[in-house]
Amino acid sequence: MKKKVLAAFMAALTVTAMLGTQVVSASDFSGEDPQIEKKIKILTIWAEDNDNGILLNKICEDYQKNVNPNFDWEYEMVSADNLQQKIATLAASNDLPDLFAYEAGAPLVTLIDSDKLVNVSEFLAETGTEQYLNAGAGELMKGLSGTEDLYDLPLGLNVEGFWYNKALFEEAGCEVPATWEEFDAVLAKLSEAGIQPLTTGGSDKWGATRLINAYAVRTMGNDIMTKTANGEVPYTEEGLVAAADKIAEWAEKGYFGEGITTVDMNTAGSMLMSGKAAIFYNGSWFTQNLTDESQNPAGKDGIGFFNIPVADESVSSATSYSMNCGNILAMDKAKYDDGTKWFLKYFMENMGNLAMEEMGTVKGYTYETAAEDMDPYTSLVLAEIDKSTEGFAWWEAKMVSEVSKIAQENVQPLLNGEMTGEEYMQSIQDVHDMQ
Amino acid sequence: MKKVLGNKKAIALFVVPALILYTVIVMVPVIWSLYYSFFSGSPGLQWEFAGFENYARLFRDKNFFNSLTVNFKYIAVVTVGQVGLGLLLSLMFKFWLRRCKTIIRTLVFFPVVLPTVAVGQLFAKIYEIQPNYGLLNSFLSAVGLQGLVQPWIGQASTALWCLCIMDIWVAMGFYSVIFYGALLDIPDDIMEAARIDGAGSFAMFKSILLPLLRPMIITSLVFSFSGTVKMFESAMALTNGGPGSATKSLSMYMYDVSFTYNKVGYGSVIAIVIFLICVLGSFIINRFDVKE
Repeated sequence: MKKKVLAAFMAALTVTAMLGTQVVSASDFSGEDPQIEKKIKILTIWAEDNDNGILLNKICEDYQKNVNPNFDWEYEMVSADNLQQKIATLAASNDLPDLFAYEAGAPLVTLIDSDKLVNVSEFLAETGTEQYLNAGAGELMKGLSGTEDLYDLPLGLNVEGFWYNKALFEEAGCEVPATWEEFDAVLAKLSEAGIQPLTTGGSDKWGATRLINAYAVRTMGNDIMTKTANGEVPYTEEGLVAAADKIAEWAEKGYFGEGITTVDMNTAGSMLMSGKAAIFYNGSWFTQNLTDESQNPAGKDGIGFFNIPVADESVSSATSYSMNCGNILAMDKAKYDDGTKWFLKYFMENMGNLAMEEMGTVKGYTYETAAEDMDPYTSLVLAEIDKSTEGFAWWEAKMVSEVSKIAQENVQPLLNGEMTGEEYMQSIQDVHDMQ
Repeated sequence: MKKVLGNKKAIALFVVPALILYTVIVMVPVIWSLYYSFFSGSPGLQWEFAGFENYARLFRDKNFFNSLTVNFKYIAVVTVGQVGLGLLLSLMFKFWLRRCKTIIRTLVFFPVVLPTVAVGQLFAKIYEIQPNYGLLNSFLSAVGLQGLVQPWIGQASTALWCLCIMDIWVAMGFYSVIFYGALLDIPDDIMEAARIDGAGSFAMFKSILLPLLRPMIITSLVFSFSGTVKMFESAMALTNGGPGSATKSLSMYMYDVSFTYNKVGYGSVIAIVIFLICVLGSFIINRFDVKE
């Protein structure tokens, strides 16, 4: 009898202890970090001493040093070109890294549909860290995934628009354009003054498709590319054909100079900074080049920025910007445990401030500290982000990879005059129909 | 020796290890691709049995036919160019060059050892038009041919031919060395006899050298053909398949389909087509060798 009582007592004690442990370790994230032993694997497209690679390694280092000495991490980098392939292979063998950089939009949706990713909204609610995520960034990413919940974390909060060389504008007597008509007039004026008005990364292709997107959004609304991806509007719609024709017309007029399809984004940026071209479309990440004195002969105040000019304010407003969160971070659902949660909690709480302190950039997290001696270009970008009331995505954001590839490839024949706007849009529609 | 080769066990001992290795390295992936070609999606990600759907898709796919055309044009020009110019160079080494023979042979062979990416970058600079004229456009401009200055690799009409020139330049040295070796093996007295019989240079080439070099020419054609069917890295380095899809080969398209579009099943069908082109092409070239 004594033995039975003792056994029951021991069993009850064990169950209580287990429940107690579970409550403390899994559900309560308000207390101190339990210093769980954990090693995570991070796969990104940045070198350890470059861009987000610096931040990711620094935050891991800080977490290990200041909070959890039992934490460790392994950092691996692949080239951006190979990222999708690498992730697809790892996903197929159920061996995704704990944390990995990926592309928002259609590529991420494939992983969400395959149930490979952690539901970030649930993680934020569970750990009470929602307030650390910039609300705009969260909405932008949900919009790109087309999901109610969030499945990724931002590694940037960028606006895109036109960077221009102030000296060349002054030389040609041009003002910053606010409307599309003014923009066309500025381009013509620059051209007449013997200045190459525009440049873009025709060999990288995405720089050129952004220009089509700019015109399409301003004339057809911020959600036009979502509608086309959903099949509500065909890619061959008159307004979209007009947008493609607009870029072809600029190329035909010689606004991009000769052989624009052989120029990459880096060269195009250098052409702007060295005064060989007046206007260049790119995102706020271009400040990295602008703030580098060795790259930017135009100096600290030589380059300006203006948002995509408006065609019709009621269709797309002047305060709506092309925005993105850069390459995003996603987490493998299979390896996600309490150790990962505690690290990510620290990540959420500190990434905003760390990015500001280390690089003077906004990464999509709230921050308290202002960057000391902030560069004029960084201030300029932050001011533009503050002005934004609405964001829209890039040309290929909602396209599945096959449609996206053809949209980018065929922009080159469009620029060369080997394809009309109608043929370009039809080629996209054809591939869309085959899906 | 006859005794050894008459023994079936001895033959098996020589053949079986190589056969096993060949089967594992070559045949298993081919059969594996064949198996994959009946599925849609990517293994582990929306991987479903699709029957013959991937094969049916091939016949409606404009991009596939575009890449196939690019590949055939490239094979025709580059194979003939590499082997033909290789042969001409070897004749030059043997009959024309008297001084600096070794240096010139080394210089001609030199591009063979260069990494493809470096060669791609080099030619991209030669063909450059923006922000500065490259070597070719600078030369044209300097000699007053401004009208011929153009974006050589930036327009569909010239990009493929520019790529062909680059790949011919890279490999012709390799073939010239092979042919030069074969030319050295031709006994001098045969050529001497032909000369005494009154054979001129062309007759000597047509009636003496060409027949004697034929086995080597066929081998070189097979080498060059199998290399050009796989057209990938040079196009990737110089034009990245562009502009548009003007220089996109079947291998590049297969890579896109399999790894960018995550359609490994359909990509496997394209891989099988490449495999069949290789087999068929090698078979046709070897038909010229039947008289041997």
